[in-house]
Amino acid sequence: MKCGLNPDRREFLAIAGAGAVAGYAGYTGGRGEKPKSEAKFPLSTQTSSAVIVKADSYSRDLAGIMMQGILECGLDVTGKSVLLKPNFVEFDPNTCINTDVAVVATALDVFRTLGAADVKIAEGPGHRRDTFAIAELTRYRSEIKDFDDVFVDLNRDDVSPVQGFADRAEFYFPNTVLAADVIVSLAKMKTHHWAGATLSMKNFFGLVPGSVYGWPKNELHHIGIPKSIVELTRLFGPKSFAIVDGIMGMEGNGPIQGTPKKAGVMVMGSDLPAVDATCCRIMGIDPARVEYLQMAADRYGITDAARIEQRGETIASVRTDFQLIKEFKHLRLT
Amino acid sequence: MPDVLTQSGLSYPKQDLKEGLQTRLETLRRSQNPDGGWGFVPGKASWLEPTAYAALALHGEPAADRAWALLRSWQLPDGGWPPSAGVKASGWGTALCATIAMARNEWDAPLQKGIAWLVGAAGVETNWLAVVFSRIGLVDYGRNVALKAWPWRPGNSGWVEPTVHALVALKLAAPKLSSKELRERVQTGEAQLLDVRGRDGGWNYGSPKVLGVELPSYPETTALALVALQGRKDMGKAFDLARKQIAETPSPMARAWLTIAMRLHGMDVNPPEPAGKSPADLVITAVEALAAPEGNFRFFKTPALSGGAV
Repeated sequence: MKCGLNPDRREFLAIAGAGAVAGYAGYTGGRGEKPKSEAKFPLSTQTSSAVIVKADSYSRDLAGIMMQGILECGLDVTGKSVLLKPNFVEFDPNTCINTDVAVVATALDVFRTLGAADVKIAEGPGHRRDTFAIAELTRYRSEIKDFDDVFVDLNRDDVSPVQGFADRAEFYFPNTVLAADVIVSLAKMKTHHWAGATLSMKNFFGLVPGSVYGWPKNELHHIGIPKSIVELTRLFGPKSFAIVDGIMGMEGNGPIQGTPKKAGVMVMGSDLPAVDATCCRIMGIDPARVEYLQMAADRYGITDAARIEQRGETIASVRTDFQLIKEFKHLRLT
Repeated sequence: MPDVLTQSGLSYPKQDLKEGLQTRLETLRRSQNPDGGWGFVPGKASWLEPTAYAALALHGEPAADRAWALLRSWQLPDGGWPPSAGVKASGWGTALCATIAMARNEWDAPLQKGIAWLVGAAGVETNWLAVVFSRIGLVDYGRNVALKAWPWRPGNSGWVEPTVHALVALKLAAPKLSSKELRERVQTGEAQLLDVRGRDGGWNYGSPKVLGVELPSYPETTALALVALQGRKDMGKAFDLARKQIAETPSPMARAWLTIAMRLHGMDVNPPEPAGKSPADLVITAVEALAAPEGNFRFFKTPALSGGAV
């Protein structure tokens, strides 16, 4: 059985396919379509899955680990355009803010090996104007072969409007994002001082273009951070796959000023809320208390532990509680 | 410490931006789109930001005239400018267009409408309820919300960079316009920038603290704030920081803005250029051209307003 949402996966892919066929300019992310069910929570009877793989360090066989997870999930990228979306937002030599360069470089190789027609790395950092300077500091530019040729700065890409994002009549997204067949959310496992945790779903903030929304992408804050995360998941989750870098995560005052925290795992899957809920449990966070996961639950993915098949390692075998700032102490998983 | 934490080793040969000015201008000339604008990278659709900086860098050339003609065609009925032809909402780039118009000594009705748009634009955090909550101590916003800043786009909060560009444009427009409201916006805008200054003397992109924790100052926003605060004599600590930042940052954009800021404050500066291949970023190319000793950074030189507050 494939990993991710089980029975409804075909419907999700159909929505994504509709966007591709129709061209991205008028892509509604399925919002304009009539719901097939009147149920309040369309996925409330579904099950899902996520893969947890141990990875002690970045010098381990990351390609093998990543390949194991991807194959376990049955993801087929043959002939498809794949967009790798790492989390690189800032640089501080004293902590680990960004998806490690080893994970990004490995993903580039792995998805090429798996037969993707085109693999790009793309990110729109939310704080800093000079994206390539961050890429320099994070060693992306020096350690990823031909980085400048495979990288798209989403803050500077051409854009197209999408109808019906949150309550906005039109919202602009980079054409590279809209045109991709598969988005791989290469997220970092971190606590977050506004959202509780930043994982594969929150990582999609970087899909929003600074050229239109600024630095930071303050429009998302005014829409509401949880709502924006959920809306981004609604739009792009159906064509996405998550690989969360929890080898070295961040605890405390994340996502920028926290402390490195080794979790020693990578978590993967095609149901982003399921992957993020699993990551939360590994971090000792109750996903039912994380607002954006509450909002996404049974609408855009599964977060209920009883309905997520954990493949690979068990949560109990890898759980390592991340420190939480006082504002989020109530999220602790008991 | 794991290798993930190891900082990359970067080295810079000593060169002067002067040497690269003609190369950069030639890059801009070659990469202009047929419509007169520039994309963020060569071959992409025209956007306001790279077009505006390139137009300033190439001021006096036909290429700059074509760029300005394109930008003028984008002005929206509300007087503001959108970030590109395809995005139908006015935003912070209005300030850059106003600055270009001042450089060109143009002052017609559409431009005055643009200035009015800027005078009316403010971050949504400055509302009466927030001011009351702040004054009675109910909410600590970490900044004085009575002081109006400028947002990237309407409906958002104020941030350092759009505030800087609005202040520059309004100060340049002030001698042409007898407007008490404009002068008040300039004065409170400067006060707002000073209010969000970090303890190290520089600026982050917004508030200096989040949840009570200090944020680091960024070189690019520190530089921009100094551009907006020309004429002030109490910026010594900021320049101490700027000198440190210009030597350490790997960002050519940050170095260029720091250079512009120092030149506008009458300082001599000779920033190093980075080794290795530069990314094809036309905003950086244009700002670097502006920062050169013979570059057009002077178009950001603002007059002191009467009243002594600025």
